[in-house]
Order: sequence, then structure tokens, then C-alpha cells
Amino acid sequence: MAMNKTDTRRANSVILSMLAVAIVLALFFAYRRGGGGLHLHAPRLYVSARQLPYYAFCSFSRMTAAYILALAFSLVYGLLAARGAMWERVLIPAIDIAQSVPVVGFFPAAIFFFVALAHGSRFGVEMAAVFLIFTSQAWNMALGVYESVRTLPNDSLEALDAFGATGWLRLKRLLLPACVPKLVYNSILSWVAGWYYLIACEIIAVGPAHYELPGLGSYLMTAAEKGRTGEQVAGLLTLLAIIILMDVIVWQPLSIWAEKFRYEFAASSAPPPVAIGMLGALGAVGPVILRTVRAAFRPILRAIHSALATTRPFNAAEHPALRRGWRIVRVGLMALLFFFAAYGAIKGTGALIRTLLQPWPAAVRQIPLATGASMLRMIAAYLITLAWTIPCAIAASESQIFARRMAPIAEILGSMPATALFPAIVMFMIRLTGGMNLASILLILTGMQWYVLFNLLAGVSQIPEDLKEAARSFGLSRMATWRTLTLPALLPSLLTGSITAWGGGWNALILSEYFVYRATTYKVFGLGAMLDDATYQTGNGLMILLTLLSMVLVVIVLNRLMWRRLYNIATDRYRIDY
Amino acid sequence: MALLELKGICKSFPHAKGNLRVLEDLSFTVEEGEMVAVVGPSGCGKSTMLRIVNGLMQPTAGQVLYKGRQVDAINLECALVFQSFALMPWLSVKANIEIGLEARGLPPAEREKRASVYIDKVGLDGFEEAYPRELSGGMKQRVGLARALAVEPRVLLMDEPFSALDALTAITLREELLDIWQAADMPVHNIIIVTHIIEEAVELADRILVLSSGPGRLVADLKVDLPRPRDRRKESFNALTDKVFSLIEERA
Repeated sequence: MAMNKTDTRRANSVILSMLAVAIVLALFFAYRRGGGGLHLHAPRLYVSARQLPYYAFCSFSRMTAAYILALAFSLVYGLLAARGAMWERVLIPAIDIAQSVPVVGFFPAAIFFFVALAHGSRFGVEMAAVFLIFTSQAWNMALGVYESVRTLPNDSLEALDAFGATGWLRLKRLLLPACVPKLVYNSILSWVAGWYYLIACEIIAVGPAHYELPGLGSYLMTAAEKGRTGEQVAGLLTLLAIIILMDVIVWQPLSIWAEKFRYEFAASSAPPPVAIGMLGALGAVGPVILRTVRAAFRPILRAIHSALATTRPFNAAEHPALRRGWRIVRVGLMALLFFFAAYGAIKGTGALIRTLLQPWPAAVRQIPLATGASMLRMIAAYLITLAWTIPCAIAASESQIFARRMAPIAEILGSMPATALFPAIVMFMIRLTGGMNLASILLILTGMQWYVLFNLLAGVSQIPEDLKEAARSFGLSRMATWRTLTLPALLPSLLTGSITAWGGGWNALILSEYFVYRATTYKVFGLGAMLDDATYQTGNGLMILLTLLSMVLVVIVLNRLMWRRLYNIATDRYRIDY
Repeated sequence: MALLELKGICKSFPHAKGNLRVLEDLSFTVEEGEMVAVVGPSGCGKSTMLRIVNGLMQPTAGQVLYKGRQVDAINLECALVFQSFALMPWLSVKANIEIGLEARGLPPAEREKRASVYIDKVGLDGFEEAYPRELSGGMKQRVGLARALAVEPRVLLMDEPFSALDALTAITLREELLDIWQAADMPVHNIIIVTHIIEEAVELADRILVLSSGPGRLVADLKVDLPRPRDRRKESFNALTDKVFSLIEERA
């Protein structure tokens, strides 16, 4: 019975996912006007360290805007999905597919869409960038909210019901606090991912696409093109400073604060991290800012509060007319939403069919081969990732000192958006090897390795102490300990890390196979290069569509047929729950 | 010569506010053939003591002598039974029991034979291919016990072995432990059992060591002269239980 249910759900989710992809694609292409490349504005960028604060400000604003959007979205989406079975059936598979789609591939389409929406103004490009960052941040945050609410113990919900606390009060006192730990944790991850894609789209801006998107990414790219090492280093340092400051001022205090909301009965054994010296002092800045802001808003909040306190809490049950009215409004809203969705889908499908009816260029026949070539690159990068992260994890499991020294270094390196290093890496590799092949694998590697490493390190810290003691007590040799304890215990984390890494890898692939440097295009034979070529050079909508579709197809097939199965086996057999 | 001798053992752990002293100047000896129970309130360092005896931890000061030689690495003539069972969840019952045998370099055929002997002894027949998560708590600890016995240790170290089980299961397992211990073909010469359940100590041990808490010191060293099998309803049994209890309570 239960089996049947999950089977139908899985089938549903596949159909829904495919439908979602078709609709998104169709929508984008429906708004796409004609062929030809993208030439909006010639980029006006002058590399000078004096303008760095301005570029940093531009990038940071984009990040903040996208994050606020993602936060709002994740709360609404997550709470809705956790609320009803009907919502859950639609929203969760939709997120599932959104997560596995290579976001970067949709960036050009997003630009077409938003620029058309903004009637060709620069604002459209900005919106497209914010949208791209948003898509890299929102999904895991929304899932965090959903999981937090879904895993709430039933008795705490019943307790609120018993006391008649419903609606806003229930949200404020139970649902929102319950979301805090996972939301903060996922926010930190999202923020890191956001930087990666922000820099990526700023690089695309100066590189192949040629439009104006001032920011640290475009600055780094221009500096690299002009061969100005000093300014490149200055840019990287600025980026590093922003990331560390954000971490110390915002994220660390937030995660300590979030510990309060953990819904656990047993006390966590890990002590709060102790910040050191200067950074520790900076950590105090966050609460001070918070207190100042709160003090500034206090009179307003107090006024609202006292106004509300004197009126009786609103009880919808006492106003049948209002409820009827709300029902009508709701039906109306749903109808409107449905109308727009249907309109978009029909228009999109029309555009889709029109695009597909165009004569297919000869290059189409190369898509399978290109897919294979890209896969080989991905596999190479993945093998390199495994080759260094697994020994690292084993070393961390054997030596606490190594683990403790390594964690902060890896954290800083991993939170640096690898895309910021792309220009430098590519320039260097091109000069060294004359081609892009090795550079491409390196770039994919930067998009993969940290996910695996962090998941493995987290896995290492979760190996129970008593199992380690048992292994030592019975005199197991190092090899035997790896075989019977360390590697099996790390398998679930390795798979989680690998799945995320391949997601990151596909995105990096698109960026890594095609690079414009000093007006020369360097590319390798691969799916990513084909997509970029079609987008930036030929402007062939059909090719964009087909390459994107093949990529999405490969991603979905790999996920469903390989990763998910492996993951299920790993969590089934190798989970630690004796 | 005593089989095992602890001399002035001190152990402290680095802590947020200075060092946390867990054991202080702990000395006692264990003679060949004894079953010793170590009781004390939680946090008295009795589990730490057991790990020092096994060689899993090194004392901050003092030394452990086994057959007159200092223990400075894992003592492979000891085997440890864990409160949490500490079974590898991805290995079958049989593979779990074979872990220690494999570590000692026994050939596969020999491992298999030895494992099946002890599977039989602890009553796990028919569960050889089961995984720990499919077993009840009592069955899991049977695996833990079989794993320790299979290496045929001279000293069996038991760290609160029955504390994670329900009371009825614990009684059954204690009786089975005594049966195994008293059997003629038993390779184990000594058992050191750490527990906070006083009845358990009185029922099983030849000698009871009472530790005080924070830091752990030796408070009393009692001989248990009750005839076996011990009846927990007898006056003498309860008198000893009360005595140990009041010793712990005085120092708490």
C-alpha cells in the first residue's frame, strides 16, 4: 500500500517535472524576439582599484536583493507545501526538478525574458542577474522551511490547537521559530552559492554576452583581460574581505542565535565556536547593529502593538460574510493565476513548436557526441575531486588535530566563489597549454570539490565515538578500520556530496567550455560550448533549445537512474542508527 | 603477582574552564580469576577507568600494570563490551562478531568456526545474517558480548553493559552472563564490570569497588561472600545492596 503510494508519487513527480521544464522553457522562448546575438550596450568598464568600492557595492546589492526575495519565497513556498497534501504533491516535485536544472544554462534565456519585460533597458539585465542568483538560493531554503514544519512533533501542534492559538499566533509562536535553525543553515549555504552565480553572470556579461553589469565579477574579468595582476589581486582581496566580514558579522551570530530554536530534548554536546581575536571582536558588531535597528523601530512597533492590544483578536468565525467574501476573492485569484499560466503555456508552446519547426542545422547531429565529451570532462573532474577529498576525510577521521586545523581553511576557501578565479585560471591555462581542455576540467573541479569535501567532513564528525573505540579496542589495523568503519560510515555523506557536486559541476560546465579572452573565443567540443555558441554567436534558438533540453535530460536521467538509487541504498544500509 | 594493577591513576580532560579532573589517585589490584564490579554515581570516571585499563586512553598520571608490564597501547588480551553496543550497522551479526578475529589475523575458515561457536553460546542462532538494526536491544548486546568473547580475552571489560536495556531483559542477560562465566570451557579469567546499578554489582561480582564522583576516588573495596546462585530476595543480598548504596550516598 505504502509502496504503491510512493510509486504513484514518483510517477507524478516525473510527469510534473517534465511539464515544469517544458513550461519554463516555453515561457522564455515565447518572449524571445527574433534571432541574432545579444548586443545591448557595449560594456563600459574601467579597471581601477579606486572604483572597487563601487563594484563591490553593486555586487553586494544584487546579492542582498536576491537573498531577500529568496527568503520571502522560501517562507511562503515552504509553509504552503507543508500545509496541505495537495500543495505538497505539486510544490515538492517542482522544487526537485528546479534544483537539478543547471541554472546557468537558463541565464541567457532569462536575460531575453527580463530585457523584453523591461523594454530593453539595463534594468532588465539587472533583473536577470538577480533572478539567476535567486534561483541558486531559493530551493534549498524552501525545502528547509518545509522540512522544519513537516517534522514538527504532532503534540506541539495539538498543544496550540488545545489552547485555541491559531492563525498568526500559531505562525509566530510555533511555525516560524521551528524554521529558524534550518533556515539559517540553508541561508549560509545559499549565500555562498549566490556569490558563485553572481560572479558567473557578471563574467558572462563582459565575456561573451557584451552587456553592462558592473560588479566585482566584471571587474575581475576586465582586469584579467587587460593582464593587470595587481588589480586582479585587489579585486579578489575585496571579495574575500566582504565574504569574511559577512560571515563574522551576520552569519556566525545568526547561527549561534538559531541554536536557541533547535527542537531537541537532548542538549547538543558541541560547544559554541569560539571566535579568535580581531574576528571575535567584529562578531560583536552584528548584535550592536541589530540593537540599534531595533531601537530605531521600537516606537513604531510599540504603537502598532498597543493599537492591536486594545482590540480583541480577530476571529474569522464570527464574520461569516467576510469568510464568504474571502472565498470568492480566493477563487477569483486562483482563476486569474490559472488564466495567466494557461496563457503563458499556450503562447510558450506555440513558440516552442515554431522553433522546433525551423530547419534543423547540421550541428544537431553532434549533440550526442558533445554530451559524451562533456560527460567525460565531468567524470575527470569528479575523479580528481574524489582523489583528494577522500584521503582528506580519512585523515580527518584519524586525527582530530588535522580535522580542527583543516576545517576553517576549507571553510574560507570553499566560501570563496570559485568563479572569481575563473579568469585567472583560464588565462593561465591557455598560456600554458594553448587550449581550453585542461582549463575546462579545472573549472568544473572548482564547482564540484567543495560540496564533496564539506559533506565528507560533516560525515567524519558524525562517526560515533563508540564505534571508533570499538575498532581500536579490538585492535583493527588502519586498513581494516577504513574498510569496516570509516568508508562505510562516510558513504551516505559521500553520495549527498556527490549529488550536489554534480549539480554544481553542470553549471560550471556551461561556464567552463567557452571563454572569451581578448576578443578571442576559446572553446572545447562539448555540450556547454554548443549552448554558449548558440546563445552568444549564432543566436540559433533551436540549438539553444536542443542543447538545453539534452542537458536537462542527461541531468534528470542521471539523477533518477543512478544517484537516487545509490543514495537510497546508502541511506538504507549505511545509515548509523544501530 | 596481581594480574592487573592500577597505581595512582589520575585523568583530567581539557575543559573550557581549566582542566576537568575525572579520576584522582585511583589504585587497586585485580587478582587472577576475580569478577570485579566498579560502581559509583554518574560522572565518577568509572567508564574512563575502564578505557585506561583497555589502553584506549592514557592516564594523565600513574600507571596500569598488566601481568607486571605497563599498558601503553591497546591491550589485546582484554575485550570491551559497550553500553551502546557499538556494532557496525552495515555489518551482519556474523561479520560484527568476526571483527576482532580478523584483526588478530585468523584465517577465514577459523574465523567462521569461532564465530559460530560464540553465536551459539549467546543464543543468536538463526540471526547470523541479520543486521543490528533488525535486532532488539537485548539481542544487540548478545552480539556485543559474542564479539568480545570470540577473541577469547583473558579479561572481559564491560562498560554498563545492561544499562541501555529494559529491566527484564537485563535480568535475563545477567543470568546468561553468569552461566557463560561459570561454564568449564570459558576462556575468560577475569571480568571487570562498570555499572551504576547496585543490584547488578551485588548479583554478579566477587568484589565491589565503590567510587565517589567529581573527581573519582576509591571509597570502598568490598568482598562479596554471598553464595551463588545469589537470591536477590534474601536478607543478606539486600543488606549488602543497602551498604553499597549508603557508601555512594555519603560521598555524593
